[in-house]
Amino acid sequence: MNDPWATAAGGVNEPNGRVTVSELSKSFGPVNAVDGLTFTVEPGAVTGFLGPNGSGKTTTLRMVLGLVTPTAGEARINGMPFAELANPARVVGAVLEAQGFHPARTARKHLLACAAAIGVPDASADHVLGTVGLLDAGDRKVGGYSLGMRQRLALAVALLGDPQVLVLDEPGNGLDPEGIAWMRAFLRGFARQGRSVLVSSHLLAEVEQTADHLVVISRGRCVFQGSLAQLQSSRRARVLVRCAAPDRLADALARTGVLEIDTLPEGWLGIAGADPVHVGDVALGAGVAIYGMVHEKIDLEQLFFQLTAQPWEVAHR
Amino acid sequence: MMGLLRAELRKTTSTRLWWGLFIPAGLLSVLINVFGGLFTAAIPAEDGRLPLLIGSLAYALGLTTVFSMVQGIVSAASEFRHRTITTTYVTSARRSLVLLAKMATSAVVGMVYALATVVLGVLAGLVGEAGSAFPTTGALLAVTLIGMAVSALWGALGAALGTAVSNQVSALVGALVYVLLGELLISTLLRNADSLDVRRLSAYLPGNAGDVAIYDIPARVLAGPDIGTVVVETLANVTAPPPWWGALLVLTAWTAAVAATAWVVADRRDVT
Repeated sequence: MNDPWATAAGGVNEPNGRVTVSELSKSFGPVNAVDGLTFTVEPGAVTGFLGPNGSGKTTTLRMVLGLVTPTAGEARINGMPFAELANPARVVGAVLEAQGFHPARTARKHLLACAAAIGVPDASADHVLGTVGLLDAGDRKVGGYSLGMRQRLALAVALLGDPQVLVLDEPGNGLDPEGIAWMRAFLRGFARQGRSVLVSSHLLAEVEQTADHLVVISRGRCVFQGSLAQLQSSRRARVLVRCAAPDRLADALARTGVLEIDTLPEGWLGIAGADPVHVGDVALGAGVAIYGMVHEKIDLEQLFFQLTAQPWEVAHR
Repeated sequence: MMGLLRAELRKTTSTRLWWGLFIPAGLLSVLINVFGGLFTAAIPAEDGRLPLLIGSLAYALGLTTVFSMVQGIVSAASEFRHRTITTTYVTSARRSLVLLAKMATSAVVGMVYALATVVLGVLAGLVGEAGSAFPTTGALLAVTLIGMAVSALWGALGAALGTAVSNQVSALVGALVYVLLGELLISTLLRNADSLDVRRLSAYLPGNAGDVAIYDIPARVLAGPDIGTVVVETLANVTAPPPWWGALLVLTAWTAAVAATAWVVADRRDVT
């Protein structure tokens, strides 16, 4: 730290753009919105930040961007807290809400005000308007914009400083299917240039085709982190059985080496690592009557649902 | 900081607020100063004409400062109302600099308001035949400059207040009720106290301090140095006021106090 230029140059010029979140927590009164969250956003990839509504995604993104002060832990961009970035818009662009515009101001004038604050030439306003396809609508008041156009304008603002990192909170909201496809292609292209993308969604399907890396949270805690393939292999197919004596069936199965058995409500058992034929044979041998049997498929959306609605999470609160 | 100033100027000039708010202030100035001119000419020359326009200009300037305050409050709080504050803070991590840029911009708008009030007022006064006893250049310049300073301070104070309160309606209604009614009540109460020290406090309220600064020189020009103070006491509803420069310092201190509050509040605020 003896040479201030060394650290400043290291932060800005280093082609990194890594976002690290460590033990990040935020409580609003008695509510723990975010609870000890740790994850990393690597450059050159799209990181999908998933969780149901109200799981703490927006609060986390706002802590990363210095808008909300964490109760504990910290978030760093390029190794520095947001507040210490000399010109933050040059490092990170944020698409947080499509409503953040003065309705009587034109898109171009909004961008020009932002350009002045960031210190980029006025010409970049038209440049980013072109990138998001709003060049012709640039002189219209934002009050007359559709939600999709506002999302595009929000992205244009985020791109003004030519940042290394893009943070987007539910960018799909309000976009038509064409807009969503365009946004996906754009984010992939952005990441392919070696930059980082952190994009949140409450729908797995929305980021399934875009994200290389997933961070899934529920009630402010991380429940999964890894690639989509890892997510798929994290859950094995299960056989769900409803029977007269779950305990006896579980014992009988355990004796055949099947140990991954969950006790579910209403007399159901969730059995992993066995096929329906094996379960049926064992039940017959043990003399346990079977009332129903389902071979559970690995549906990603269902997996996501399972992940984010864990019973222990409820018990934890 | 220059970039932030340019950004705030661009925000201000890209909506109608700044000139829309001046329309009523300008109309008031025209109306008041036409009468200032008419009254000047109405006094027969042999009874000794007074440059009454200097007084009507001061009155119009006093009203303009309220519009400067409103402009400051609305422009700062509209960032929260329209949620543009998210973008503002994401593009500039230093919230204190954003506050300073907003205060400076609203101060400039306040100065423009005051200058326009004087220009319109002088023209209206001339229409009303103020030329029969026109104020001296020195007095006119003094009233203009002091009016601009008071108006600038109110603009800056408004911007700080809008940032601190952030709810546009609350900040606006609260400030207007205080300036137009609350301060009148408080200073009346203070002036009815037994102790002179308590009565003197009336001149140290922000609105009264601004009025004292604006009325000080016109009152001396029109009523002479002795009765001038009494005129200021009556017009500004104060007791034993400081001179105009002292009053300006008082208003500066109030502005600094509100700015310090806004600084602390904005720094700790979670923008959710």
